[in-house]
Amino acid sequence: MKSSVRVLFFATAREAVGAPSADREVPAAGSTIEAVLSGLVKEHPRLEPVLASSRIARNGRYVAGPRARVLPGDEIAVHPPYSGG
Amino acid sequence: MTCEITSHPLSLARAERHLADRASGAVVLFAGRVRQDGAPGRRIAALEYETDRRMVLERLRGLERQAIRRFGARRVYIIHRIGRIRVGAASVLIGVAAPHRSTAFHAARFLIEELKREVPIWKADRWARAPAGHPPRTPPRRRGARSPG
Repeated sequence: MKSSVRVLFFATAREAVGAPSADREVPAAGSTIEAVLSGLVKEHPRLEPVLASSRIARNGRYVAGPRARVLPGDEIAVHPPYSGG
Repeated sequence: MTCEITSHPLSLARAERHLADRASGAVVLFAGRVRQDGAPGRRIAALEYETDRRMVLERLRGLERQAIRRFGARRVYIIHRIGRIRVGAASVLIGVAAPHRSTAFHAARFLIEELKREVPIWKADRWARAPAGHPPRTPPRRRGARSPG
């Protein structure tokens, strides 16, 4: 039984953290996007300005806001502004 | 209908084949290519593209559906290359077949603009080595895209 969430970092988010992903423990009853990401910002202060302009997805869907719930086993993606084309 | 992400070079001929349709009198094909940019001592050699594979195809298919419903496109072709793409090579092809040219132009324009804004794909500059006598300056981070117009 997983007790952690995996956070994926793309583009400038990955550069700020220095890794493509990070696993974070969450309570079995779940947590919030905000709690998980603020923990990461404490460890990686350069992530904060990136988050300010990023979209966040959980399990392949954009979340409505920072209070969205996350459960163990979820995958969170940090998407800085897109630049394809 | 085709939405794809690939690490291989893109083919206009293949795009054209996907757009074959006897009821379409207009085909618009847009190719976005990596362009030469920069200054002496700081020249872009390539762009490196990445994507969120879990979400990208669903986002592209959403755009494809809009091109059909809102603009009346009959065939849509969207393919984006990822990985390292050298100057001169195509990073994206957008194709639309429609009964009339105005629909095809509008739908193709819509698709490339929305792709740039709404699809999880990112690019990063890869700089050429500086020629002798031109020590490289530190480039500003992500100093703008050098691809499709």
